[in-house]
Amino acid sequence: MQDVWVNGTAMMQTGRHYNLNIDEMAARVLDEALKDAGYPELDALFVASATAEQADKQQMLGAYIASRLGLDKIATYRVENADGSGGSALMAAAMAVRSGLYNCVAVVGVDKPNDVLSNQQQDIYSTATDSVYERYFGVTPAAQAALMAKMYLAKYEYKYEDLALWPVLMHKYGASNPYAYIRKQAKVEDVLDSELVSDPLRLYDVGPMADGAAAAVLCSRKGVAKVLGMWSSTNAVPFNARQEYDVLYSAREAAERAYRMAGVTPRDVATAEVHDSYSILGVLAVEALGLAPRGGLLASLRSGAEVRVNLSGGLKSRGNVMGATGVYQAVEVVWQLIGRGPFKRVDGSIGVVHSMGGVDRTSTVVVLGL
Amino acid sequence: MEHESVPLYWRNIPSYYRLVAKRCRKCGEVYYPPAVKCPKCGSAELEDFQLPHEGELVEFTVLRSVPTDFLKQKPLVIGLVKLGPVKVLGQIVDAAPEKLKAGQKMEVVFRRVVVDGKYGLVMYGYKFRPRP
Ligand SMILES: [Zn+2]
Repeated sequence: MQDVWVNGTAMMQTGRHYNLNIDEMAARVLDEALKDAGYPELDALFVASATAEQADKQQMLGAYIASRLGLDKIATYRVENADGSGGSALMAAAMAVRSGLYNCVAVVGVDKPNDVLSNQQQDIYSTATDSVYERYFGVTPAAQAALMAKMYLAKYEYKYEDLALWPVLMHKYGASNPYAYIRKQAKVEDVLDSELVSDPLRLYDVGPMADGAAAAVLCSRKGVAKVLGMWSSTNAVPFNARQEYDVLYSAREAAERAYRMAGVTPRDVATAEVHDSYSILGVLAVEALGLAPRGGLLASLRSGAEVRVNLSGGLKSRGNVMGATGVYQAVEVVWQLIGRGPFKRVDGSIGVVHSMGGVDRTSTVVVLGL
Repeated sequence: MEHESVPLYWRNIPSYYRLVAKRCRKCGEVYYPPAVKCPKCGSAELEDFQLPHEGELVEFTVLRSVPTDFLKQKPLVIGLVKLGPVKVLGQIVDAAPEKLKAGQKMEVVFRRVVVDGKYGLVMYGYKFRPRP
């Protein structure tokens, strides 16, 4: 089996890119990442997108991205796992190199949720729930996250004010990330004053949908960071049938297996980017990754302990770039490990990406190291 | 959402109208949504199982940011209701959210769920309400 190294990376600022087509955006970051890697001969392109068909009416996105750059005679693969598409595509790309079939592949994550109105975004995001038994009745990921938040807060005897510390932390980190959608600090009062989305969750608990694209080039030859471990897991239990609502089963399983493959423990992790589409899910993801004890993260936030997770600002502040999110996270973790761009180098050599589709439907965890 | 397909709606009527779940003939476990094969014992012998129409509220939330189909009905009260051996996720109606409490008795009612445009399908299904 071949080693898998990150050879090139690129991302564009998230936001509302009304002047760019989806394939154009993806092609731009892909070309930048290829340039960063020294334009290696590319064998395949893995594309992560969650909304291309619904928001941009485009299938076969990989072929159109490739054609914008004249990338001829390569294989293109589209990976879709809703807002967890990025992690899944990253893992598929890494597997392809690891298997020895390909020497150099690229993964590009792209989505333009702002090509439709915000109500239609809810329609699209709802298709990440069970279409027949959940979406049909008006259930959205926000409602599911809200139910989990209610049960988590009750079980561990927290108040909503404790949960509000997560968006405050995300805004603090996002304020210094020039690639983020929202770059301003927030106070607990701002969170408490924001409108209710689905109680107890308020507007500040929701990662705003942003357009964006990020890319990475993975090769068997040595690069700036190495893929040390990876695993993907599905939680097959329907939301209504869960035993417990205060744990992310898919993230826990993916993390345990990825750590084992990498030969690391949570203590070795210097930086992590987790999928906080809703603040409660960020909290549960940190706990699932073993970076805080179960039910314990809000207590450490409350005590003022330094929690260095989502230095990008997370989905809350960088934005929920839907299918592109996992690729953004990978680029962010690499840049944090090597101290590139706006990111200060973290103290340590191991970083973790947690990418999730829907509310604990699928998770991918990738361990990156120097 | 526009233009929901007729067969997509029609084939799910047993669930939407009657809350038909599946029970494993071998181990007795009940699944809703209906399973194709028993995740617990692996048996493919599953039979229809009628869920009871009374149960109790596990937890609920008031959803204010809704998909386009539900704009006229917002906010939606979304709740988890325990019906016999399983929990079911759905809308709660005829209730003041501030008076709802986990553990309270609930019952299933049959209601209109989605109206697809001016000339499209009118679709029905179960909802829950507090038991008087
Ligand atoms: Zn069975």
